[in-house]
Amino acid sequence: MRTAILACLLALPAIAQQATLEAPLPDTLFPSNFGGDYVLTDHYGNARTQADPDGRLQLLFFGYATCEAICTVALPIMSDMTRDLSARGIEVTPLVITVDPETDTVETMGPALETFAPGLTGLTGSQTDLARVRDLFHVERTLLFTDPRGVDVYAHGSHIFVMDGDGGFLTLLPPILSTDRMVEIVESYAAG
Amino acid sequence: MRALIPLLFLAAPVHAADGERVQITGEVIDTWCYFSGVMGGPDAVVGSAHHTCALWCSAGGIPVGLLAPDGTVYMVLKMDGDDTTAGGDTSLHIASHTIEADGMLYRRDGLNYLVVEEITADRDIVNATHEDFGVIPGFAIPNSEAPE
Repeated sequence: MRTAILACLLALPAIAQQATLEAPLPDTLFPSNFGGDYVLTDHYGNARTQADPDGRLQLLFFGYATCEAICTVALPIMSDMTRDLSARGIEVTPLVITVDPETDTVETMGPALETFAPGLTGLTGSQTDLARVRDLFHVERTLLFTDPRGVDVYAHGSHIFVMDGDGGFLTLLPPILSTDRMVEIVESYAAG
Repeated sequence: MRALIPLLFLAAPVHAADGERVQITGEVIDTWCYFSGVMGGPDAVVGSAHHTCALWCSAGGIPVGLLAPDGTVYMVLKMDGDDTTAGGDTSLHIASHTIEADGMLYRRDGLNYLVVEEITADRDIVNATHEDFGVIPGFAIPNSEAPE
């Protein structure tokens, strides 16, 4: 099963027919906001709230460091976006909130992320605290199965949330967009 | 005119209006394979030919979309009966199905987002693309060997 999922996800970036997604009409409000107040622990062991310490825009994703499906697509994209936005003079903070705190601990999350998504900061916490944060973002997490190695495999939401420096919701990015398009979108919010 | 369109997309976001109620009939698609083109052309990665892969992708967290007959794709933000954003395994039961959806349409960053409040009709899988393409991709159905 994992091979099939990987084969689907690890193909080329989604760019071929992206133009057909575009709808040149004014933006509308989403039915609800995403996000809110939270306190988790980053992979350096520091308390981390919804506000960025440096007031930067934040890219936020829910996943886990041992995920071999959508995380292997979304997290490197966030790493690339951070680099590309910095080149345009826009500093952002990329964050991943774990859906698997049993595996993603303060000690393990940083090194695991560094292997395929350099620059990301992992956030972890108790199951209760993490469930509450998922609720704030309307993100699901479902345990699919435990693989033969004993690793739990989860299905989980896959949008990248773009938050302002205070933790306010700006927009979300489906992971099917190209990195360039995501950079353009985030840049538009940074300018706004 | 073509030069103007990218400028429209790059302009600072304007959040001036609420969503609009819509009724849309379309096929629930795997947006990753449809837009990437890596598994085949758009005619091959929909319908029965792509059903198994669509299940894998949905389980893997890929958001589902609703492909309308005019070619418009609506990214499904929420699905009937689910209070979380669509993706993961919450939409497996309607993967590749043609449905009639009643909901709210929102536009953001040049994308169409649909909150499906009610699936008013589920026509099952009616797009029999396997007749032309077989299974796309073939490896979506792993070789099954009887356990010894």
